Amino acid sequence: MGTISKIHEMLVSKEISCEELTKSYLKEIENANKELNAYVCVTEEQALTSAKAVDKKIASGVEIGMLEGVPMTLKDNLSTKDIETTCCSKILQGYKPIYDATVWEILKNQNAVLLGKTNMDEFAMGSSCETSCFGGATNPFNTNHCSGGSSGGVASAVGGNIAPYGLGSDTGGSIRQPASFCGIVGLKPTYGAVSRYGLVAYASSLDQIGPITKTVEDASIVYDAISVYDSKDSTSRGKCGANTFDTLNNDIKGMKIGIPKEYYEGIRDDVKEAIFAQFKVLEDLGAEIVHIELPAVKYALPVYYIIACAEASSNLGRYDGIRYGYKTKHYNGTHDMICRTRSEGFGEEVKRRILLGTYVLSAGYYDAYYKKAQNLRGTIISAFNKAFESCDVILAPTVPMTAFEMGHAVSDPIETYLTDICTVPVNIAGLPGISVPCGFNAKGMPIGMQFIGKQFGEAQILNVAYKYQQSAKENFKDTKWGVKL
Amino acid sequence: MVTREDVENIALLSKLFVPEEELDALTKDMQEIIDFADTINNASESGESFDNINNLSNVFREDEVVESYKSEEILKNAPEQAEQHFLVRNRE
Repeated sequence: MGTISKIHEMLVSKEISCEELTKSYLKEIENANKELNAYVCVTEEQALTSAKAVDKKIASGVEIGMLEGVPMTLKDNLSTKDIETTCCSKILQGYKPIYDATVWEILKNQNAVLLGKTNMDEFAMGSSCETSCFGGATNPFNTNHCSGGSSGGVASAVGGNIAPYGLGSDTGGSIRQPASFCGIVGLKPTYGAVSRYGLVAYASSLDQIGPITKTVEDASIVYDAISVYDSKDSTSRGKCGANTFDTLNNDIKGMKIGIPKEYYEGIRDDVKEAIFAQFKVLEDLGAEIVHIELPAVKYALPVYYIIACAEASSNLGRYDGIRYGYKTKHYNGTHDMICRTRSEGFGEEVKRRILLGTYVLSAGYYDAYYKKAQNLRGTIISAFNKAFESCDVILAPTVPMTAFEMGHAVSDPIETYLTDICTVPVNIAGLPGISVPCGFNAKGMPIGMQFIGKQFGEAQILNVAYKYQQSAKENFKDTKWGVKL
Repeated sequence: MVTREDVENIALLSKLFVPEEELDALTKDMQEIIDFADTINNASESGESFDNINNLSNVFREDEVVESYKSEEILKNAPEQAEQHFLVRNRE
């Protein structure tokens, strides 16, 4: 498996040069991407330049860092200087940022090799990657199924071994859900742990950047690298603790794992059974399973859609055809120009969410929807605080089902929104959550479960997820695609 | 109850055009989503209000001049520009 530490060892021992390694990824991208549709832009020239620089450094005998020379990818809503950043929307086609997102600046300074930008639901609004103007990324376990979303391209690329790891963003589950669908690991950090500077905003009080990786160890390595205080993001706090890597292998004897019954209602049987079967694995490791209640989470989904759409309607006001991106061809007056540009440039789901957001913020509806949702947000946060008095971490399904077939998600908006029911509470409360594979259904599609931690409790959830992975390696299965190391 | 007029009005506030033939379907969609959002009005609040997510307070910095971007760079992505400004024509 092409994990970060494996690649690092191969580079250090000169088993492979960084240039050879990068070329093999580029070649496999060319092959596999026709079916996976994971990449929307491949940055071959830049990747090879970075790789050669790393080779030079290795040849000169200088020690290299863990992420140095390791190929990777970024979701297409993370700003990359002089490299097209489209959010997979027609309205941003051709847009080349003049600055780097902080996360990419950090990784670039550590000589990460960027292979390209990956597919996503338009402006991160969707759960199947299919609202992308490039069409959806497919699932490496079965390409008739979707990758999940919104960070579907990163998950498809990592699951399909055409990127060792990638960064996505998670507003209501967009890292954890596709990771679960593609049988890999996705970490949504605590709100404020990772700088959002340069992440194209969807819902600013919920958005958070995090890693999508093959293993828990990789998630820890990348998280430690990117969780740094950044003065350019006013909500940035940094890691608020020690490196998570150092405590990965700690004993979890006596750790209390809370099972909130509300999370297991309305979950498909195969998903539920797969997760229940893992309780024993965790108990064998010395953890204690405790059953808890979290009644407030039943309102999390409508609260999420009200807050996310309200913030989106404001954030997406900036696309006006004047400063960047798409502009309509024929118009009469500036109001007409802006309306035409937006109507032609945005896809259906984006328009729907802008309209809903505008509705809940408009006079006469603000108190009933937006204000009420904000108050309930406070209720949900205190419910989690109370739950953490009786447990250390919470274990819940990541998604109520496995990856749906391509084309299934777009037909019914409410049904699609329901797929986010298990992931959104974490965003509302600003908590960290990590999805790990925990089995397969009868059709061989991966099932995921998530460990949820206290604010800035990344070390604890990575620790329990790591110990779990060591005892349940059979659930971390590779696919037929891509680079085999 | 979401009406056609509501949707037209929201679209205007959102600076979006909704074609006449899509208006009925969109009104129905919006009604369904609003009905779903309405379920929060059955919830009893525990009285907590929400201020911000991780007890952040305002961060102030010294008012110092720092280097910023050149206007040519900022204008690079503009569909139209003239004399170091974004260009907005009244009609095209």
